[in-house]
Amino acid sequence: MSTDRPLVIIVDDDPSMRMSIESLLRSVGHAVQSFASTQEFMQGAQLDAPGCLVLDIRLPGRSGLEFQRELASREVELPIVFITGHGDVPMSVAAMKAGAIEFLTKPFRDQDLLDAVHRGLELDSQRRSEAAMLAELSQRRETLTPREREVMALVVAGRLNKQIAAELDLSEATVKVHRAQVMRKMEAKSLPDLVRFADSLALDTTRS
Amino acid sequence: MSVRPKVREDHPFLLSTAPVSRAQSRAASGVLGLLGAAMLVTVPFAQVPIDNSQVLVPAYAIAVFIVDLITAALLLAMYSVQRSRAVLALAIGYLFSGAMVLPWALTFPGVAQSLGLPEAGLQTTAAIATLRRLGFPLLVLAYALMKETDPDPQHALESERRVIAGTVAAVIAIVGGLTWLVLTSEDALPRFMQDENRVTAHWRYVPVSAMALCGAGLFALWVRRRCVLDIWLMVVLCTLLIEIILLAYLSSGRLSIGWWAGRLFGVVSASIVLVVLLAETMTLYARLARSILAERRARETRLTALGALSATIAHEINQPLASMVTNANAGLRWLGRPDPDLAEVRAALERIVDDGHRSASVIEGIRAMFKKGTQERVCVNVNDLVTDIIRRDLSEAKLGRITMQTDLDPHLPAVTGNPVQLQQVISNLVANAIDALSNVTDRERLLRVRSSQSDADHVLVSVEDSGTGLDPALRERIFEPFQTTKTDGMGMGLMFCRSVIEAHGGRIWVMDNAPNGAIFRFTLPSAEELMSLTGEATP
Repeated sequence: MSTDRPLVIIVDDDPSMRMSIESLLRSVGHAVQSFASTQEFMQGAQLDAPGCLVLDIRLPGRSGLEFQRELASREVELPIVFITGHGDVPMSVAAMKAGAIEFLTKPFRDQDLLDAVHRGLELDSQRRSEAAMLAELSQRRETLTPREREVMALVVAGRLNKQIAAELDLSEATVKVHRAQVMRKMEAKSLPDLVRFADSLALDTTRS
Repeated sequence: MSVRPKVREDHPFLLSTAPVSRAQSRAASGVLGLLGAAMLVTVPFAQVPIDNSQVLVPAYAIAVFIVDLITAALLLAMYSVQRSRAVLALAIGYLFSGAMVLPWALTFPGVAQSLGLPEAGLQTTAAIATLRRLGFPLLVLAYALMKETDPDPQHALESERRVIAGTVAAVIAIVGGLTWLVLTSEDALPRFMQDENRVTAHWRYVPVSAMALCGAGLFALWVRRRCVLDIWLMVVLCTLLIEIILLAYLSSGRLSIGWWAGRLFGVVSASIVLVVLLAETMTLYARLARSILAERRARETRLTALGALSATIAHEINQPLASMVTNANAGLRWLGRPDPDLAEVRAALERIVDDGHRSASVIEGIRAMFKKGTQERVCVNVNDLVTDIIRRDLSEAKLGRITMQTDLDPHLPAVTGNPVQLQQVISNLVANAIDALSNVTDRERLLRVRSSQSDADHVLVSVEDSGTGLDPALRERIFEPFQTTKTDGMGMGLMFCRSVIEAHGGRIWVMDNAPNGAIFRFTLPSAEELMSLTGEATP
């Protein structure tokens, strides 16, 4: 199994239910792995692999909601689709608030599950590509010299070369050279590109 | 089966049925001891006359009159609940004693004069006193003799209001008649008095026979003492004895200290049963309130348990159902692929088969759980079941001001079935009818249970109420589970009724009652019919 193909993971204690969901997801071409309990899942699954989790809310031992909290505390950002035997409104609200993709009541329409899984996988891959992009950008920024970082900060703040030169006590020509270096090293094709990169990086630093 | 429990078991909280506790016996002996001591204290002064104290006679009479009347009213209320003829006799005794005290006081020498009434004859007061003194212990004796043979169920259903009204009217008529007789035939009366305050030799027969009646009453009560009321009536009779002894033997005739002490004992004896009735009523009321609370809690627990049970059942059935749906969907999708994967389709179909079997076994398990102990079938008389339930629900119906009527066919053939289940069916229907009647305000609240033979081999039972009736839209679904019109109902009762009746080979349906209300009817095959259908002999 190639690592970049997203994996749908099913956790349900009822074997027939588990196999039926597995079969349904495979029939539309998903890669699927299933577990009878959350313990098995924690031992057997690759938590950082791309994918989505289909989780029964009524599990032996620990409820699906508690498990959702545990995954969040371990910073496993797998999107979760909950399925439940009894449509309990407060429970579904709690699950959705904690970031679940969908809350399906058994028996559910197959299309609803497939849509939810699809949405989950899309969200996951989007999140992953954003994370990858961010990692790339911060790597690029690492290659800048201190002076170049200073210039970049002022450029994205909208200052003209002349103003930057005055502020940093440099000649305007030197500023131009630094600025070209910044654009090249950050792989920005235009000024708006650079501003966007800087924004993403700033967002990341404020978030972490 | 026997459906004629002793009435005692139906009303364990009434004074006339509550068993005697040790504390009650001790209290009764204590009171008796005190009264005896009081009598002994008055003995040395008994002969001293109190002149002109006849002005106190009306006050004494009013006290006795009111106390006796209240006691009689309480006893009549007790009768209306318990339908005991013995209690009715006792009520008559108090009513009679209370009513007779009025002519006695009004004819008392000196009293009529002070009130501006014409003076009655010398013998009048003594004659009235004699009637009163003999009548009361006689009726207590009647109570003691009748209380074991009480009451019959047929009697229980006739209107108690009519009985009470008739009794009160009769007592008033008798008292009035006797008074009139005594007043008009002064010359024919036995000569008890030689002057206003002293008695003749004839009088001595009166206390002797009164004491004999009291003694007989005491003996009868002692032999048959079962309840709190019996014990206190014995105290009352003892007090009466003391009163008679004081009046007849220790005092020096009317208006002496001994005579007044005797009168005082009269008031005490009249009050004893009243005080005990009131005290017991309060205690029993508190106990009743507690037990109603407990009952309500038990019902809530039962509802919660039922809720939990149905949630479990729903989950158990839903699980294979959900799996079947998903498996079928998966199979369809495997089939719908450009190159259908038949192995996957087969696997999905096999899982559906397994799920189907799984849900069937869940349902079988539930059925087995509910079927426990329902196999027992015996010969059942439906009329007995109805009578039993009506009697049990009588007090609740009375609280709700509901008139209960029965119209039972005495020649109803027996049916074969499970008596407990059939009783629950009828009880459910009656309870529903009582609930339906509880918010009726503009007409009579009427509940009638009929039984008849619908055809040669079927028994028909109908439970009719004059309640709000059923919404036609709901009528179709009323026997389905979770259909309810009650705010706190589970919608299980009528479903249970239908499943029981159908399991017994009968049918249940509902129709409108004219002009208001609903009629629930069910049929059951008679025992002979069922035997010929199944070809089995019934036990």
